[in-house]
Amino acid sequence: MKHLIIVSVILLAAMQLAHAASGRIFVTNERSNDISVINGSSLEVERTIEVGDRPRGIGISPDGAELYIAVSEENVIAVIDLETLELLRKFQAGSDPETFAVHPNGNIYISNEDDAKASVYNPKTGEQLAEIEVGLEPEGVAISPDGKHVIVTSESTNMLHVIQVPEHTIVANILVGARPRAATFTNDGAIAYSTSEISGEVKKVDMSTFEVVAVRKIADEKAKPKDVILNKDETKLYVAGGRSNQVIVMDADQMEVIKGIPVGKRVWGLAMTKDGSKVFSTDGVSGTVSVIDTGKDEVIKTIEVGKFPWGVVIDD
Amino acid sequence: MNTLKITIAAFIFLGCVTAGAVEKTEINFAFIGATDGNAYDGVAQGIHEANLQGRFLGQNYTLHEFSADNMDAIDPGVFIALIVATNADDVRQAGNRFKDHAVLNVAVHDDALRNECSSNLLHVIPSGRMLADAEAQWLQKSPDAGVTASGWHPDFVKFAARDLNKRFKKRFSRPMDQYAWAGWAAVKMTSDSVARKDLTDPAGLLQYLKTGLSFDGQKGLDMDFRDTGQLRQLLLMVDPAGDLVGEAPVRGVVAPDDVDSLGLASCYN
Repeated sequence: MKHLIIVSVILLAAMQLAHAASGRIFVTNERSNDISVINGSSLEVERTIEVGDRPRGIGISPDGAELYIAVSEENVIAVIDLETLELLRKFQAGSDPETFAVHPNGNIYISNEDDAKASVYNPKTGEQLAEIEVGLEPEGVAISPDGKHVIVTSESTNMLHVIQVPEHTIVANILVGARPRAATFTNDGAIAYSTSEISGEVKKVDMSTFEVVAVRKIADEKAKPKDVILNKDETKLYVAGGRSNQVIVMDADQMEVIKGIPVGKRVWGLAMTKDGSKVFSTDGVSGTVSVIDTGKDEVIKTIEVGKFPWGVVIDD
Repeated sequence: MNTLKITIAAFIFLGCVTAGAVEKTEINFAFIGATDGNAYDGVAQGIHEANLQGRFLGQNYTLHEFSADNMDAIDPGVFIALIVATNADDVRQAGNRFKDHAVLNVAVHDDALRNECSSNLLHVIPSGRMLADAEAQWLQKSPDAGVTASGWHPDFVKFAARDLNKRFKKRFSRPMDQYAWAGWAAVKMTSDSVARKDLTDPAGLLQYLKTGLSFDGQKGLDMDFRDTGQLRQLLLMVDPAGDLVGEAPVRGVVAPDDVDSLGLASCYN
């Protein structure tokens, strides 16, 4: 009993430190210049927050206290308090910030689409810590769970640039199919998966050799893969199929397509709940978010949000 | 591929990305045409972007300008490909003179050039018949008089066209038109092929462009060439005021991905 109390106290303290997660789902709406806040239990939009011109990338601080939004046309990152949902501040984030990822150390890595650069910011102070030259139209940013590697995809140069942290040097430039959009890592950081929009491919990269070890071209010609995430036990990949209007489920090992889950039109963004039970997709042209039950791999709800939903993140 | 590995090794060894860190493969283009036109600016944009990629792969791209009446000055051993932005006769003449090279036409719409099905002429700019077919499709959908087709429009935003238009305008302070796009695309498809296939010989490049190309020209399609030498591509519809009003293949008239509904699809038809 005594132990239980101590454990409880420690857990409570840890929860307070990490800020209680609300379970809310946050969605950037590229053309209505706002974000939709979806209640994690009712799966209804509970609030809409205006954030500025062309919000796209979205992420949460490691301590769960702050929400970050790339407001592309204003060249800033907007910071929202996750508890009060008030806008706390905006800071300059280079030219045309599009996508970013939050490092376990709290810094954010941003692709600056106009500038052929990736930049590193401390979101607490707004200070730029580093700038790294990458290929043209940098887009997707993914960080390995151990924080040692950052992948930036450059859409026009068709490369995955692997940046080593903390040195911020490029250790590999991996040529992939036309218009690489997004990447994700396995939990141990050994493998990265990446999508190429125009070539319609998903690639598997061995992060010890930086070599592409497997490629799967999605048969559906309309499939323009964008976001990619792994399920909780890392057996399945969920790939946003763009104009194929499907979330494509693949087995993570062989990358065979298991299923196409019909969602709304032009699906781009994906996020999974921490317990792995649900995946949320942003269906840009339809203006909806689809909720997928990962047990059945079926849509269980479609939620109307703003215009051209782009990115999605879950506070859980 | 070896070049790539050496490049990576050099990056790790030096711990930095510097242009001079690795031995460069020099890739040279010959450009025939006016240097004050949009096509030339597009080519220059393409060279700039090719070098942004080349800095990671150890390739350096350079443009050399020639006038059409001085093709004798072009040393075929130096150049990976030729880009022509003048007229049908010059395109034809360059094609005949430099049989092992890809001769990329970025300005001439002339249908006869396509109908000849030459072995080394590659037409990046749309043919006259493609433009006419697009306009006819548009008329079936809406009887707007005066809507014309073009290979590009400065207000096109889809498929990251917005980014390309922005980059071009930033550099040249004028909008990107279809000749500038074709010039850019001619270089981009070459530099993509060089990067992917380590192709540095003209004949190998020509063969790859004709048979293996899968090119992202920021028009949303994987582009390749017909056996006529014409690049398959989406076209843009422009109203008399110059505003972008639509795309061809015209949705509702033909399937949106039926790019072969525009122009002569094959030499064997």
